[in-house]
Amino acid sequence: MEHVGKEAEVRLSIPASPEFLRLARLAAAGLASRMGFTYDEVEDLRIAIDELCFSLVGNSGRPGTIVLRYWMQDDGLVVEGVGQFDDGMGTSPALSPLSQQILKAVVDEHELTIGKDGPEFRLVKRHNAG
Amino acid sequence: MSMSEDERDELRRKFEAYAESRDPALRDQLVTAHLGLAEYLARRFANRGEPLDDLVQVASVGLLKAVDRFDPDRGLEFSTYATPTIVGELKRHFRDKGWAVRVPRRVQELHLRLGKVVSSLSQDVGRSPTIAEIAERAGASEEEVLEAMEAGRAYRFASLDAPGSAGDDENQSLASQLGEDDPLMAGIEHRVALSPLIAELPRREQLILHLRFFEGLTQSEIAGRLGISQMHVSRLLARSLAKLRGSADDT
Repeated sequence: MEHVGKEAEVRLSIPASPEFLRLARLAAAGLASRMGFTYDEVEDLRIAIDELCFSLVGNSGRPGTIVLRYWMQDDGLVVEGVGQFDDGMGTSPALSPLSQQILKAVVDEHELTIGKDGPEFRLVKRHNAG
Repeated sequence: MSMSEDERDELRRKFEAYAESRDPALRDQLVTAHLGLAEYLARRFANRGEPLDDLVQVASVGLLKAVDRFDPDRGLEFSTYATPTIVGELKRHFRDKGWAVRVPRRVQELHLRLGKVVSSLSQDVGRSPTIAEIAERAGASEEEVLEAMEAGRAYRFASLDAPGSAGDDENQSLASQLGEDDPLMAGIEHRVALSPLIAELPRREQLILHLRFFEGLTQSEIAGRLGISQMHVSRLLARSLAKLRGSADDT
């Protein structure tokens, strides 16, 4: 796969509903696996994706989509998610102190902000294996 | 489930009165009188990976529907009428969950093997193995390993909490029998300040949350420390987080 650039990008658009989050996790896990992440790191990544995606869609989902972008970078994986909801911006998303604590433990960087299309998150999981 | 003739007559009168009046107090009495039936049917669906408490709730919803729809004039026993309604509710519950739970058999089998593969491999390489290493050892593709890891999340959440062979008590599961010193629980006030819901989790789940997210231990380290497989740690974490999320809505 030499023709795949070192900073390859993958995009995924899913309905903003909890049952589709497995696809978001699987995509992240698949890319992380390609990059040689360990089992522990892949697990961390999936927890982080869940935590952030749930903060966008809530427990029962919202009408609309989440667009996820994954960047494979030299030193790790960057994931961004943007919620595009039909029911408006709603309340501005916030991470509970517990979510903050969880994210701090499982990824190297995370943030949740309001973008022009809707709430969005970004996480960075660096590759620390070996 | 057997009741005396008198009780039967009494219930029949109540059903007739309820059919007329739709009195909520009567409805409560009728539902309460048949909770045993709901629980009995719920138990028959236990061991399919759903906590019994949840199943009893689902069955109770079915019971409510049956009480509301039952027509005493048609001469059927209530239990005869209610059973298919309650079973239908339970089946629907499993079917609705089915989207997440349906996992190809090959992946299910791999999932069951994965725990052992990961722990033996971790020992061999002295760190958490990569997915490629796990796939090679398991004789599967990386995609299959990832699917199998994902399956652990949706599939049989309850397996760890399944009652041990000793009996019916839901607290007597394997994981709850792990001893652990109290000092580890010391930070509880701090964690509970972050979310009071943490205090409602089973103690071992609190402990694992604490070790992972507050002490910063990896899943493999926690597995080693508690003497359970990493897959179990992973499942319990996913489960605790799902619970914390689930109940956050209720508050």
